[in-house]
Amino acid sequence: MITVALLILLLPLLSFAIQIFFRKFIESKNGEWISIGIQLTTLGLAFYLFAVMIGHYDPHFRIEENVTWFNLGNFSLEMGILIDNISVIMLLVVALISSLVHIYSTEYMKGDIRFSRYYGFLGIFTFSMNGIVLANNFFMIYVFWELVGLSSYLLIGHWWEKNSAADASKKAFITNRVGDIGMFMGLMIIMTVLGTLNYQGVYTGIASGEWEGGIGTLFGGANPHTLLTWAGILLFMGAVGKSAQFPLHIWLPDAMEGPTPVSALIHAATMVAAGVYLTVRIFPILTPDAMATVAFIGGVTAFYAATIAITQNDIKKVLAYSTVSQLGYMIMALGTGAYVAGFFHLITHAMFKAGLFLASGSVIHAMHHALHDIKDHDTDAQDMRNMGGLKSKMPYTYLIFIVASLSISGIPFFSGFLSKDAILAGSWAYASTAHEGWLASMHMAWILPFFGFGAAVITAFYMFRLIFMTFFGESKRPDIFEKMHESPKAMTVPLMILAALSLFFFYTIPSINPFSTHGWFSHVIENPGTVVNFGSTFNLEHFEHANHEAHMPAMILSLIVATLGIGFATLVYLLKKVSAESLASKLGVLYKGSFNKWYMDEFYINGIIRPFLKGCDAVALFDMEYYDHYLINGAGRNTKKVSSGVGVADDLIVDGAVNFSGYIFQWLGWSLKFIQTGRIQNYLIFALIGVVAVFLLNAF
Amino acid sequence: MNLSQIVQDLGFLTPEILLTGLILLAIIYDLFLTKETSIRTGYLAIAGMAIVLFSLFAQNVEASQGLFNQMVAYDGYARYFKIIITLATILVMWMSFQNDELKNRTIGEYYQLMLVLVFGMFFLVSATNMLSIYLSLEIVSIMSYLLAGYLKENLRSNESAIKYVVFGGVSSGIMLYGISLIYGLTGSLNIYEIQASLAANAAISPALLMLAFVLVFVGFGYKIAAVPFHFWTPDVYEGAPATITAFLSVAPKAAGFAVLLRFLNTTLTLSGDPNNIALESLSNLDWPTLLAGVSAITMTVGNVVALQQTNIKRMLAYSSIAHAGYMLMGVVVMHHNGVSAILYYAGIYTLMNLGAFFVAIYIKNAFNTETISDYTGLGYKAPMIGIAMAVFMFSLTGLPPTGGFVAKFYLFRGLVGVGDTFIWLAIVGLINGVVSLYYYLRVLYFMYFKEMNFPDVYHRAPLQFNILIVIIIIPLLFGWMIGDPLSTWTASATSFFVP
Amino acid sequence: MGYIESYLALSAILFVLGLYTVSTRRNAVAILMGVELILNAANINFIAFSKFVTHSLDGHVVTIFVVMLAAAEAAVALAIVLNMYNNTGHINVDEANSLKQ
Repeated sequence: MITVALLILLLPLLSFAIQIFFRKFIESKNGEWISIGIQLTTLGLAFYLFAVMIGHYDPHFRIEENVTWFNLGNFSLEMGILIDNISVIMLLVVALISSLVHIYSTEYMKGDIRFSRYYGFLGIFTFSMNGIVLANNFFMIYVFWELVGLSSYLLIGHWWEKNSAADASKKAFITNRVGDIGMFMGLMIIMTVLGTLNYQGVYTGIASGEWEGGIGTLFGGANPHTLLTWAGILLFMGAVGKSAQFPLHIWLPDAMEGPTPVSALIHAATMVAAGVYLTVRIFPILTPDAMATVAFIGGVTAFYAATIAITQNDIKKVLAYSTVSQLGYMIMALGTGAYVAGFFHLITHAMFKAGLFLASGSVIHAMHHALHDIKDHDTDAQDMRNMGGLKSKMPYTYLIFIVASLSISGIPFFSGFLSKDAILAGSWAYASTAHEGWLASMHMAWILPFFGFGAAVITAFYMFRLIFMTFFGESKRPDIFEKMHESPKAMTVPLMILAALSLFFFYTIPSINPFSTHGWFSHVIENPGTVVNFGSTFNLEHFEHANHEAHMPAMILSLIVATLGIGFATLVYLLKKVSAESLASKLGVLYKGSFNKWYMDEFYINGIIRPFLKGCDAVALFDMEYYDHYLINGAGRNTKKVSSGVGVADDLIVDGAVNFSGYIFQWLGWSLKFIQTGRIQNYLIFALIGVVAVFLLNAF
Repeated sequence: MNLSQIVQDLGFLTPEILLTGLILLAIIYDLFLTKETSIRTGYLAIAGMAIVLFSLFAQNVEASQGLFNQMVAYDGYARYFKIIITLATILVMWMSFQNDELKNRTIGEYYQLMLVLVFGMFFLVSATNMLSIYLSLEIVSIMSYLLAGYLKENLRSNESAIKYVVFGGVSSGIMLYGISLIYGLTGSLNIYEIQASLAANAAISPALLMLAFVLVFVGFGYKIAAVPFHFWTPDVYEGAPATITAFLSVAPKAAGFAVLLRFLNTTLTLSGDPNNIALESLSNLDWPTLLAGVSAITMTVGNVVALQQTNIKRMLAYSSIAHAGYMLMGVVVMHHNGVSAILYYAGIYTLMNLGAFFVAIYIKNAFNTETISDYTGLGYKAPMIGIAMAVFMFSLTGLPPTGGFVAKFYLFRGLVGVGDTFIWLAIVGLINGVVSLYYYLRVLYFMYFKEMNFPDVYHRAPLQFNILIVIIIIPLLFGWMIGDPLSTWTASATSFFVP
Repeated sequence: MGYIESYLALSAILFVLGLYTVSTRRNAVAILMGVELILNAANINFIAFSKFVTHSLDGHVVTIFVVMLAAAEAAVALAIVLNMYNNTGHINVDEANSLKQ
């Protein structure tokens, strides 16, 4: 078993090495099939592991192997592989989607100038992702975490010539680093208190009360778990970065500059799921306050991103915000204690969202070719306002879009219904039972189901808005429409597989009841509960009971909201009974009326950020080409965006904060630079002043 | 202290004696060489250093010794630093053969001066008496001045030498004044006796003690280029011959840290025994807080000013200031873990910084530029150079999977391990890590992403340069993996001599 | 013979004068003389402490070493200054400022 796992881990690395080092020999000879072959082999191995796991059919199935990595005096770090139900399922998902993306890319990326490099980077990405999944300790996960960040950086920026792509890759990398700082600090705290980073070691360490003695109680005063809460939240920060949770979600929509298959693999199904996976692994050590934080961040993200998705016109941007929103669902589920539901949604979402992305890639691919044929180089191939009526031209793509959208909207008979419903029921149960954690003590727990159901109705709405704008109605550009045609087999077949996997029975077997909550999945994945010794009201059984109670009302409500969303989209975009424009203007008033929050945003933009950016413009005079472009993103560009709508506010506030800190360091460096006058005697005087200052500061 | 004792002590100085012989031999041999053949002194020096390295490995440091009335110590700690210094010297001498700045001139003295510099550092890392500390520090400094100004007709080299000599002279003068105050306060120059006297006499005014300490720290601070004694660094680094810059940025800095750490952990602690797992500073002198402040300012200044640099040598100069700040984090923890983290960091830093400088030197030779924005497309033109630079930049930033990452990890671990006193410093350090990401990756950005095309003809570096780079890269990439030999080594090297 | 305070005061005055010299004079040789002042201030301290506090020879030994080292340092520094004169025709450190920022 361990050997198989090691092979799964290392084979993609081999693919990378071959593609990069033997580029010359294989590029002109269908070298991509080497990578595809390797990837299919790992898929086979992953299936084998899966079969073994199903053979055991035991929630406590686990195999772990450790070797000492390095040691320093009395301290040592171990490296090891952990195979349990969670990692096996994740491995299968990664291998499956990676294989499909490999195949899909043969057509999508055909003729690309850096074709073999692309396959090489896919290989190193898959390697690092498998590393995250197979790690048995937090340190190793951190190492692969950074590698995933790096490979994502390389893939987003695959088309470096486009400035926007280079910007986006830089932004993704740096934003992720912000989360990683937190994660690293969390690691340090755990390491310091417990002396180990092994998952099981950490769990048993906390369960046996090691945390409550010694330095674990630092900062806490009466509460021995304050530091543990912080450790949990800091570790979770890594997930906030990687899974694009508010407020570090800003990089994911931009990351759509990468090739679409990459978006499907990394930014829908696997890498962004790594954050959720990390949260799954830290789930047992989260304290009630930490869980409330996790749930709250997830809820805010789910709702907030959904509201942005409504107004986007770029087909991939809609899907990007939708991804952010769905990731928020998973995080919220974990925060509310609905562990199984969160992980379940991770799997189902991986399938239908990868399907949606690849299907959108199919549309974009066709658009590109059509635009190429009519020699139009200015039209945006991803803008839905240039599409319409594609149903007849691209029947397979259309069908797949419908299936995946029904699934994400939570319609029965599709996988999304099962997992989403479980999440909503979980948030309901949490709101009705939770006594611990700051959300409950501030009586705000009901905000979570509100976010959940609110996001559900919006999700159904914007997904069908997308479908109606793209596939129904009259084409807005008949000249393009004429030239459109269905994508080749290598692209549609992977799509069909993913669409099929969005059907319910893959997850409910052995039951074939589409409403069943008792399939193989909920059998092998079991809520591990918490290992923190609260000695109080936080009680898992209690929660399970409430979860059961909430199941039926949540299901009915979620069906109603999904129908509402779809129905409303039908009215507006298919039947055109309501004009989208007038609706937008009316809703704009409604928005301002009901959510004073937006006034606050305007206040931030006009009162603080814009003047600040203006000031920074002056500082930016001594420009550094690179920083202007990549770190700071152009203050001017942002200023222009200010007045243009909802999604932009997001760009400005959060990006602004990032840019802000960039400016501060720039400015600091710039001003300190002038101390270095080149005159040795100035140096002497500065140093003497320094000596006197150091002396005075410390002696008195 | 009688003659037989001296003779007996000499037996522990085999590497130093070999080195002295080597210096004399190099001077005499050089007399027989012409301008064209003077490069042979370099070959002799490398061969000799290899023998010195071998004799260092052959030393048995199980039982540490104080030599010559405890003027210098013979212990694992000193040996570790001597090995690092010797390795760095060999690498730099090897690289010097390929430095175009040094072509077509008489080069014998260059290697002789480097050998004397190494001699000074050997004593610096083992000095246990204020007098021997000062003397060896001066040997190192004087040789550094000469080497910085080695390109006599080059105005920039000359300017860097004069700045160095003025700044260095004043700093060591101030340090000597501080030593004289300590001598007056404690009546001794031996660091163990000073400690005993300070610990026994807690009535000494904290202000006076702080004054003496700050004045002494000026000398150390100048050697390790800590803010505010860093001003000479960028100017000297930019003007000096590039190989010397590389050398100055690693070896004397490591030696400076070695002596600083020994001095602090022996003299200014309550127990006076640096071998203890955890130490406590003197009750009337809170130097850890002082150094924590210096560390935070040093890394911040180094990093933010490095952001603004366009010249690669200057950028690396500021980055080396920042790294001194990181290493100071290991000093303030006053714990065994901090010491071993510094040892580890010193080893890794030596490799990665030398590597980065070597690549920069090579690029200067082959493409005639030191400006980072001129590196455009180099990653494709010269793949080997590009990959090497990428590894060094990653390592300097502290990204996995490089040795730089592990080294930084140990430092932070040591810092966080002592409780919440210095958590703020760890946070400052982490933020600085993000800042440094910008300017290190900027180099790679120009090499790889600014312009992307594969040329028809690749630039190939000469074989011996490639070998040199591979020798440096391999331990950086793999040295820390399974078993991590370097860390077992550093753990065993944290044994100090105590009388 | 006298009190230690007078020696220490003398050395402190010398030390400050040395610092003043090195940070104000433009002439490289004058700066080097300032460095000598600093070193000699320390020397006076050593001898004074040796005589009045420790009653040992340590301080005297240090002084002899420092005098020797100062000579070596001065020799090297003057060589560098001479080289500067050959290159630029002056020894004004203020004008040696091409390396900066």
